[in-house]
Amino acid sequence: MEPLLLLAQLGADAGAHGPRVEGYAYPNEQNVLWSVLIVIYPYITGLVAGAFIMASLVRVFNVKELTPVYRLALLTALAFLLCAPLPLLLHLGHPERCLEVMMTPQLASPMAMFGFVYAWYIMAVLLLELWLDYRHDFVRWGQEEPGLRGLFYRMLTLGVKDVSPKALHFDERMSVAVTVIGIPSAFLLHGYVGFIFGSIKANPWWGNVLMPVIFIFSAIVSGIALCVFIYSELSWYRRREADDACLDEMGKFLFYALLVDFSIEALDWLHRLYFADESIHVLKQLAAGKLFNTMLVGQLFMGTLIPLLMLGAAQLFKEEIPNFLRRRIYYFSALLILAGVLLMRWNVVIGGQLFSKSLRGFTTFKLELAGQEGWLIGLALLVMPFLILILFIRLFLPRKHDTSPPAAEATPAAAA
Amino acid sequence: MNASCSRRRWLGLLSGGLGWLAALPVARAAKTAVKNLFTSAGAPKDYDPTKHHWLMCIDVDRCIGCGTCVEACKAENRVPGASSYFRTWVERYLIRKPRAGMTELRGEVTVDSPNGGRNGFPPTLVPREEILKGFFVPKLCNLCAHSPCSQACPVGATFDTPDGVVLVDPEYCIGCGFCIQACPYGCRFMHPETHTAEKCTLCYHRITRGLQPACVEVCPTQSRIFGDMKNLPEKAPLREFIRTNRVFTLKPHLGTEPRVLYANIDKEVR
Amino acid sequence: MNRSPLPPQLIRLVLLTVLIIVTYGIARVVLTPLTFGQYGHYRGAALQEAAARKPVYAGAKACDECHDDTLALVAKDRHKGIACESCHGPNRPHVRNPDIVPIKLTDQHCLRCHLSDPARPVHLRQIQPQDHFPGDKCVECHVAHQPNKSK
Repeated sequence: MEPLLLLAQLGADAGAHGPRVEGYAYPNEQNVLWSVLIVIYPYITGLVAGAFIMASLVRVFNVKELTPVYRLALLTALAFLLCAPLPLLLHLGHPERCLEVMMTPQLASPMAMFGFVYAWYIMAVLLLELWLDYRHDFVRWGQEEPGLRGLFYRMLTLGVKDVSPKALHFDERMSVAVTVIGIPSAFLLHGYVGFIFGSIKANPWWGNVLMPVIFIFSAIVSGIALCVFIYSELSWYRRREADDACLDEMGKFLFYALLVDFSIEALDWLHRLYFADESIHVLKQLAAGKLFNTMLVGQLFMGTLIPLLMLGAAQLFKEEIPNFLRRRIYYFSALLILAGVLLMRWNVVIGGQLFSKSLRGFTTFKLELAGQEGWLIGLALLVMPFLILILFIRLFLPRKHDTSPPAAEATPAAAA
Repeated sequence: MNASCSRRRWLGLLSGGLGWLAALPVARAAKTAVKNLFTSAGAPKDYDPTKHHWLMCIDVDRCIGCGTCVEACKAENRVPGASSYFRTWVERYLIRKPRAGMTELRGEVTVDSPNGGRNGFPPTLVPREEILKGFFVPKLCNLCAHSPCSQACPVGATFDTPDGVVLVDPEYCIGCGFCIQACPYGCRFMHPETHTAEKCTLCYHRITRGLQPACVEVCPTQSRIFGDMKNLPEKAPLREFIRTNRVFTLKPHLGTEPRVLYANIDKEVR
Repeated sequence: MNRSPLPPQLIRLVLLTVLIIVTYGIARVVLTPLTFGQYGHYRGAALQEAAARKPVYAGAKACDECHDDTLALVAKDRHKGIACESCHGPNRPHVRNPDIVPIKLTDQHCLRCHLSDPARPVHLRQIQPQDHFPGDKCVECHVAHQPNKSK
């Protein structure tokens, strides 16, 4: 039996090590361990952090023009945050042991922060801020709405029915306090993910000091882009006029955030090329080769440079560009940016595993269709938050309370 | 009425909090009692991890790349047979002569590890006449004193034992793979069936019984030198190794303080 | 003295917070494994469990109990550094029950070390099978336990 097994092993293994690796990779590195699910998780928490930062611009920095998207931004953040643990749970080898992270967290590990940061953010920041903002509406709707819906709103008041001016003033002030705490909390929620990668000294693509900063800024950019996208879609769907001042303001923040994000990522690259440590050869090959399409074409050109040009034009030539065109610019820039930031997560996570830590070779990654880390799961995880958001919008931003003006019937182009 | 209501509420809160604080030491005492019960269970009796400190060293000059260690490790530790899971493996380095016109004295380096070297090495495609020198390097867990894998584990499922080994607790590991990403030496993998991280355990189940790790047992040239630093006899191979060799470690710049010492290694080995 | 009561929102929130913290505290005590923290931030029982696995290779000392004559022969010749199980494979079942026969050795077991390779040291005797009596088995001329002896 033994010799037969030996022969079979020889035969099977002869082909197994073949075309997957170019150059040399440690034998254990042939498989890419962190896949689509770990690409999606930072993307989702980034959107959450970014949407929240945008909402905080209203509360803390008193950017009045953004008020129409304030509640929408918070609800978006909540919808995405509820979905955030899913890719992690699906990825774990033993999801049934997930509570261990909160019961015996190993405090030197950045990953151990997940449970606490997530719990803190969802309870002490997001839900609290939403509750404080919506409370008086819950009380009112709880009385007005019939049946189950009314009961639902009454439950959400947590039994606090006081809507006197004093109570409302307290809500206002506490909300500001929560937002002030919420901004660094949002940075923590997404920054720790960047630190998870940034702390890996074993991997030269990941382990550097700019990683948390890059993650945070690309998160802010993606969050604002998401709000632009959802606000535009919601207005179109309800045939309402999107507030131009609001869109202009979002476009402005999007442009400057993208500019800062681009600068920091460019700094990362410039520094790498200049510093030129021993990993530079394999990393240059990685960027120009396996990551050419996703990084240079996708993330850089389509996801950063083109939106920068479009949004920059909208900023510089605001007077000359007519409203409807500026709206298209914001919308399409937002779409490109959302795709670009997803690609950025892909390039970091997958890219970091495509080259060997021996710095001598590359492995391949094949994205399967079905399976634990396939296309379909990825798509489902990206669609799910939108479905939850639709539910939230129906419950908390119902059409009848929408105060935006109805859409104009004729467009200048049609009139001509 | 309002004032007494809120006062009652605060008293209730306070007593609840105090009750919880009082329950803690009781719970802790119960935990310790059961803990003592469990520590005495399991095999090798009388093995005290604090009284040993294990080390493995490698003499690269001696390794002939037969791959028996890789085969033995797979058999001893029931490592999956496929070619992407290894607790230990052997790499072959072939350094070519410089090409015509090159001012360097050493040419290209080719590294390979077909199936981890498990069935030896098939003849290389590099023509003999082009080869300046070659050697084999066995690789394994580097037993880091400052292990990045233990630092990375979010739950405490991989850890540094008091006797110098880095182990994984397969009953506790959640399978996140962070330790695998954190290891600079590529010595960890995700077990395809248990979905937990796995790595060289220095054959912990053998060394605690006075046996040698399987790879050390079968190595025909004694290129793996193993010993217990706290109980080392006068003529131990480990003492001889340290005395006669100038030693290197892999990737020292990362600060992981790997304890596995390599003698007669080359600058091309990472 | 007229003291204004705490805002009702705050009271509700503080109650909720205390409830959450207490639940977490209880969960932490209940769900932490019993031996956790014994030697460090890990389950102490994991050490015992790792040590409790059954060895597969018997070790050279086990062979010596019955085959001490063969071991004496090997110890005098060039293969003296090679453990029995290095060629004969893991043989714990055979140690327990000598009726269980170890695996049959083939040419592959010799070629594993003696196949010519540019990375192998020169002092190791190496051959190319196609150049060295092709078609013949190694054991027709060589005695594995006493490599200096020829048949």
